[in-house]
Amino acid sequence: MNKTVYIIIALALIVVIGIIFAGGAGATQGVEIKYGVQYIKIDALGGYSPQVTEAKGGMPTKLVVATNGTYDCSASLVIPSISFRKILPQTGETEIDLGIFKTGETLKGLCGMGMYSFQINFN
Amino acid sequence: MLKTYTFHVSGTYCASCKILIEDILNEQEFVKNARVNLKKETVEIETDGEKNPEELAELLTSKVKPNGYTLSVEKIIPARSATQRDAGGEENKKDDVAWKAILIGLVFLALFFMLQKSGILSFGIGGKTTSATSFIVGLIASVSSCLAIVGGLVLSLSAKISQDNVSDTKTFLLFHVGRLVSFAVLGGVLGIIGNAIGINFTFTAILGLLASIVMLMLGLNLVGVFAKNKIALPSELFNFFRKIEHKTFTPLIIGFGTFFLPCGFTQSMQIVALSSGSFTSGMSIMFAFALGTLPMLALLSFGSSSFAHGKHAPLFFKSAGVVVIGLGLFALLAGLAGLGIINPLFSI
Repeated sequence: MNKTVYIIIALALIVVIGIIFAGGAGATQGVEIKYGVQYIKIDALGGYSPQVTEAKGGMPTKLVVATNGTYDCSASLVIPSISFRKILPQTGETEIDLGIFKTGETLKGLCGMGMYSFQINFN
Repeated sequence: MLKTYTFHVSGTYCASCKILIEDILNEQEFVKNARVNLKKETVEIETDGEKNPEELAELLTSKVKPNGYTLSVEKIIPARSATQRDAGGEENKKDDVAWKAILIGLVFLALFFMLQKSGILSFGIGGKTTSATSFIVGLIASVSSCLAIVGGLVLSLSAKISQDNVSDTKTFLLFHVGRLVSFAVLGGVLGIIGNAIGINFTFTAILGLLASIVMLMLGLNLVGVFAKNKIALPSELFNFFRKIEHKTFTPLIIGFGTFFLPCGFTQSMQIVALSSGSFTSGMSIMFAFALGTLPMLALLSFGSSSFAHGKHAPLFFKSAGVVVIGLGLFALLAGLAGLGIINPLFSI
């Protein structure tokens, strides 16, 4: 094989890896308002879903993270901006009080090792 | 009376060689002081013996020969084989190996990340955690993204150790035994005393960052970036490797250290052991988990050793280097994100 072929294959592989890392679409499901409190539900199993949640700003908000037989990294949840670090129970729901976020703010959470993440946009 | 001799030394391609040779030579009774000069490829020896330089060179060579070094009074010009004599051909061949290695490395990285993305590995395991489930969790963990850090570290260290021609089988065995035993013992300890160890996020994250930096350095070294220009790595780092290669307890310690490396599965199992309430149950859970991760890690270490002594060794080292650099970068960025230093760049 000559060099050009190698370079082309190498670039193609880098693109494939890039695509693997990019992915992830937004969702508004999992947001529920009860008695004036906004509940955002996120499933944690082999990553977080939905990865992007659209929520309302300016109202008291609670994040509910649901695990279901989760042993992977998504069970060790980190939300840097509110200094939340905890290993969630293998199965169950963990409620985290987020307080009130202003419109336009975003909240990012990730797993302890950093390879799974999620984002909540307040608008 | 002290005399100083200077010998030419062949086979010194890395900073760790310097330390290794000096160590071995200084162990000899009649040698008062040995200093290796990597740039000139010489070693300076102070001795109070009555031997002439030729005898001394022969004697000292017999000490360092098992590690692949030769001392001589005259500079040895390496004998060139038929294939190497054709300089252009050799250059091409080297180029070919480098490109092949990059491709092989990238294919492995792509497959690995595709496996993570596919979601095959992310099924829930319900019910009470028993030794059997811990074993299964271990099996999954060993091919999960934890492989990026624990596996990457094992691969890079194994390849490096095999490359340096140290008694690798013994080192690997010690590492795996150290890992199994410390997981069992620490699991048991978690079972009785609870919260004291293993659960500190920042500590594990920093350890993870260190591991990824070691991986990147070793990866670059395996690919040959350092060797080519003879840029020596920081000597503290090589002191560290020297210890790995020379001492019995170091592979044991590294095996022990993997207990604290950031891996979601390990941390979950630690919590399970923590809440198990007794030494025996905590021990059996962590031991079963470590046992589950063993096949993959053993494959990585003993696999590298067999490749390293095969005829495709140069290709193997370079490919392993590419894989390790990829995993190291991934672990480094993820680790920085985990500490909240940078934004998460990706989510697989």
